[in-house]
Amino acid sequence: MNISLRQDTYDMFEMDGDMDKKKKKKMKKKEKLEGMKKEMDIDDHEITIEELEMRYTTSVTKGLTTTFATQVLERDGPNELKPPKGTPEYVKFARQLAGGLQCLMWVAAVICFIAFGIELGRGNLTCFDDLYLAITLIAVVVVTGCFGYYQEFKSTNIIASFKNLVPQQAVVIRDGQKNQINANQLVVGDLVEIKGGDRVPADIRVITSQGCKVDNSSLTGESEPQTRSPEYTHESPLETRNIAFFSTTCLEGVATGIIINTGDRTIIGRIASLASGVGNEKTPIAIEIEHFVDIIAGLAIFFGFTFFVVAMFIGYAFLEAMIFFMAIVVAYVPEGLLATVTVCLSLTAKRLARKNCVVKNLEAVETLGSTSVICSDKTGTLTQNRMTVAHLWFDNQIHAADTTEDQSGQSFDQSSETWRSLARVASLCNRATFKPDQEGIPIPKRIVVGDASETALLKFTELTVGNIMDYRNRFKKVVEVPFNSTNKFQLSVHELEDPLDLRYLLVMKGAPERILERCSTILIKGQELPLDEQWKEAFQTAYMDLGGLGERVLGFCHIYLNEKEFPRGYLFDPDEMNFTTSGLCFAGLISMIDPPRATVPDAVMKCRTAGIRVVMVTGDHPITARAIAANVGIISEGSETVEDIAQRKRIPVEQVNKKDARACVISGGQLKEMTADELDDALRNHPEMVFARTSPQQKLIIVESCQRLGSIVAVTGDGVNDSPALKKADIGVAMGIAGSDAAKNAADMILLDDNFASIVTGVEQGRLIFDNLKKSIAYTLTKNIPELTPYLIYITVSVPLPLGCITILFIELATDIFPSVSLAYEKAESDIMHLKPRNPRRDRLVNEALAVYSYFQIGAIQSFAGFTDYFTTMAQEGWFPLLCVGLRSQWEDVHLQDLKDSYGQEWTFSQRLYQEYTCYTVFFVSIEICQISDVLIRKTRRLSVFQQGFFRNRVLVTAIIFQLCLGNLLCYCPGMPNIFNFMPIRVQWWFVPVPYGILIFVYDEIRKLGVRRYPGSWWDQELYY
Amino acid sequence: MATLKEKRTCGQRCEDFGRFVWNSDNGTFMGRTPEKWVYISLYYVAFYVVMTALFSLAIWVLMYTLDPYAPDYQDRLKSPGVMVWPDTYGEEIVEINYNTSDKASWMKMSNILHKFLKPYNDTLQQECNTYNCTKGKYFIQKTFSAPHHTKWACPFTQSMLGPCSGLEDPTFGYNCTMPCVVIKMNRVIDFLPSNITGVAPYVNCTVLEGCDNVEKIEYFPANGNMDLSYFPYYGKLAQPTYVNPLVAVRFNLVGKKYAKIQCRVVSDKISYQNFHDPYEGKVIFYLKAMK
Repeated sequence: MNISLRQDTYDMFEMDGDMDKKKKKKMKKKEKLEGMKKEMDIDDHEITIEELEMRYTTSVTKGLTTTFATQVLERDGPNELKPPKGTPEYVKFARQLAGGLQCLMWVAAVICFIAFGIELGRGNLTCFDDLYLAITLIAVVVVTGCFGYYQEFKSTNIIASFKNLVPQQAVVIRDGQKNQINANQLVVGDLVEIKGGDRVPADIRVITSQGCKVDNSSLTGESEPQTRSPEYTHESPLETRNIAFFSTTCLEGVATGIIINTGDRTIIGRIASLASGVGNEKTPIAIEIEHFVDIIAGLAIFFGFTFFVVAMFIGYAFLEAMIFFMAIVVAYVPEGLLATVTVCLSLTAKRLARKNCVVKNLEAVETLGSTSVICSDKTGTLTQNRMTVAHLWFDNQIHAADTTEDQSGQSFDQSSETWRSLARVASLCNRATFKPDQEGIPIPKRIVVGDASETALLKFTELTVGNIMDYRNRFKKVVEVPFNSTNKFQLSVHELEDPLDLRYLLVMKGAPERILERCSTILIKGQELPLDEQWKEAFQTAYMDLGGLGERVLGFCHIYLNEKEFPRGYLFDPDEMNFTTSGLCFAGLISMIDPPRATVPDAVMKCRTAGIRVVMVTGDHPITARAIAANVGIISEGSETVEDIAQRKRIPVEQVNKKDARACVISGGQLKEMTADELDDALRNHPEMVFARTSPQQKLIIVESCQRLGSIVAVTGDGVNDSPALKKADIGVAMGIAGSDAAKNAADMILLDDNFASIVTGVEQGRLIFDNLKKSIAYTLTKNIPELTPYLIYITVSVPLPLGCITILFIELATDIFPSVSLAYEKAESDIMHLKPRNPRRDRLVNEALAVYSYFQIGAIQSFAGFTDYFTTMAQEGWFPLLCVGLRSQWEDVHLQDLKDSYGQEWTFSQRLYQEYTCYTVFFVSIEICQISDVLIRKTRRLSVFQQGFFRNRVLVTAIIFQLCLGNLLCYCPGMPNIFNFMPIRVQWWFVPVPYGILIFVYDEIRKLGVRRYPGSWWDQELYY
Repeated sequence: MATLKEKRTCGQRCEDFGRFVWNSDNGTFMGRTPEKWVYISLYYVAFYVVMTALFSLAIWVLMYTLDPYAPDYQDRLKSPGVMVWPDTYGEEIVEINYNTSDKASWMKMSNILHKFLKPYNDTLQQECNTYNCTKGKYFIQKTFSAPHHTKWACPFTQSMLGPCSGLEDPTFGYNCTMPCVVIKMNRVIDFLPSNITGVAPYVNCTVLEGCDNVEKIEYFPANGNMDLSYFPYYGKLAQPTYVNPLVAVRFNLVGKKYAKIQCRVVSDKISYQNFHDPYEGKVIFYLKAMK
């Protein structure tokens, strides 16, 4: 958090730039937001206690009076974060009905109604096709809407189940009486008491404190505990020590304080509401679908208009031509596509959920696949958010400890005598204890009472030495001096284990330089050697090395007190320190760090091979941030910052060519001074970026800057401080276990197991679904042409209608749905995790090549197949192709009962109608047969289907069988002719389109071969989609 | 991403579209250089030429396999349709309404019949169908014994309809209350109307509504028979001069002079109960005479 939030705000809104008139409402909201951020300049920490008492009419001894407290409660409302205004359920449902494709279908339905109205107006009472079509379109939108809503509802439930429902309690002093009340009853001015383990119930100005330390990691990202004391130390409310913040945890000590802010007015509350003020961005897939809808709509209108003109030219009446126009436009709407897309996305969502990624918004499933930048929070996301012993220095050697979560790593050599002494000091000079009854729990997961570094040491010694509680009992503690900021050490005096040895053992730990000052000897391989310059230098090197790793280093030393000087029963006085505290024997250094999660380095590596940039954005200190970044691979080995280069070349920082530095660490302070352009430059020039000490607003700015550079940004985080950035990002990923509610609310995706590696899965699945959606769409679009051409031929050449409306609906919504969904199960063609993320401007979901190839090549072949089968059927039943041309008006004449066919036979109207249904059915069968071929060719875009394997996608094979069975059922089920206009056709008509199916397959194999053989060629450019 | 999300004004969109149509920077017209347009056009021309050729080949093969005399299948023509003339339609079914006192009204009816009976003109029939058929049995022809490699067809002349032939009474009874209607059964290749030898199909009309208004129903030729010698039909190519046998029915309307009538061709192989085809084996019509 930084001093001037107003500055950030200013920058941010300047960047936001253009605002149209119509966005007035949005602007108002922004003003409100800005106002809110200004308020963050509170001065409650600067004024004296007396002024504070005056301000809140309270007392630092007796607290508020109960009556006054009630009044204030009525005025300010309860002390709780207002849950972000949840979208009402009906709005959520309505949103499901208002996507790009849905809008297209609504428009189509309206056109159908209009066409139906016109038909009715002309007195044509028998033509209900338009009405059926309109109803079907609406039904499809509503049903898929319900489906999508249900999916999201389910995932919301999973997330909601994580919420903590236990009401928090707080100790408050009112009327001089100590009471325990629900924390939401607290008001401004209340005097509250907090102790180790409590959650701070509101923003508190600390009045008294005893060794109080709080964990601010969810607010600022610092994993180290922060001391809280009555002194005013910094003008920023976020830096000063005398304010404890709502929802942070008090780790140890006790404190009392006056509440200065409650509920949504607390710092946390403001950040949380800042998140709700950030607008939600459209998902990349939504943008792609809109682009696709544009293409469809454009083509539909183009076709419709062309044939409108043709129809007028042929001599149809205007109204009739208008109906043709509408019918063509509607025929272009791929009815089944919406269902396909929804089902494909939810299949992936389900697959992700199985891998512990819950997606809140179905469309966000794909977003990770398009992501080119991941801005990751450090604490709790990349790291475990618990201090752990990382290194030890003894015997003049740095040993690495095992920092993995499950203790699967390598341990160091523990045979040295020095190690035994060091372990003894570390075990004894430690006040942290395990909470009782945790025997069954693995050591790293046990709950400990004590501060972070002592906890780390306790767990470390428990793991290496074993049963520390018992060990400590064997060395009875005589006296103890706790750590304070002036001494910077902690010591205790113990009796020895051996009852015969009557010496006392003094153990001490603290800041390494202070410890060293008090030592005169050093333990090397169990031998006490005098601490000369050489050793001191060795110590310095080790200390610097460990510090450079961003680790917190502690020194350890001990001494056996002289038996004569300090006999048994000697009265040790911790205040006077009437015992030896110098000339001690130095045992070693232990350094601690919040270590990265075990899976993170690998995941970061995978992200990088996948062309995704991982940027660290943390509230923690630059050195720690950098160390962790280097550790997990965000800054790769051998990468240097500008400062490193300057140091290596011994030149001033200004002379270094910025382009030489791959890595860059920018702190919040520097960031505040940078303009938007400078930030963009920095992001452009340095591939490996670490932002440290950033405020929530700055995280937002960084995300915006990345987006400005054309990246699709994913943000991962767990704290409240991440929530605005999570919201702003194209996809926010929150941690399920460690994540705060604010973060989870703002995120689109939640990792239930907090495993950063799940992001890699998300990326993989996202990319796969993008590829597969492309295939599904290509498959679905193709049949649009064979569905449309019969109508066009019907209008222009006046043949009996070859394909009816209901039949089209059956193709779109029954037989072809399963095969198009089954393409979602297709395996990736190449190693998608080794490709660059797609360029949102060039790599569209549906590009020109895809549409043109599907429509005008494969679709055309399918149309030819359909017409061949149609003319075959007609001719074999007695209607030669040439007779069919121009036959339409007679054919459709209800009053003509003796129309002669090519053989002179006479047909009644009904006989002709059933013949027409037969044509519908053979055309349907032709499309089905060609679509089987189509689904096979869509398995791959580049590889040969033989390379991909015909039967590897079992679902697809099942889908083809299902499609055939359903087709047979429709054809041969009794009663079908009169319900759905399907006729039991002759078996040989199933085989007429087969050669065309084979042609499609062969043609596409040739296309793929050309694409593979001659990448970048004309062929590749025109025919690869 | 930001650039993609920008809300563009209409002007910008138009400008973008303009640039799409003609981009002077890289000389592309609608996203392609003219040269590339030529290539892609040629490709598509070639593609469609090949496809059309394949399609034509398929149709040619189809036509090659077809028998010119008889269709491969007659799935929809299991039973022939029946129709009545004058074929004036009302809302849904045939309604023969006329006004005896209004000449235009009954002339319309008689004109329809005259026109319908034109091919049955006695002289015409005697010219084209010269073969003397044996009545009362199927006229099965295995060979093309008629001239020009065709088969014989039996003549059916207008005069066979007797009083309803329009020869004696050119008004067909429409100037009074005894109108004639003509029933024709559709021709279907190789269709034999009866399995029982020697039993010819005949037309039988029943009054469905207004029984009291129809005094008498007369059939011409006698009994409403369709002689077996007209069956089977061998198709347009084999029997270019074939004419359907007809049956004229004369109704004597009395009372309200209004009736709903069903005329059925009765034979064991002609079905008439198809719910979905009201003209199969029968025809239903209203007959109404006004003064």
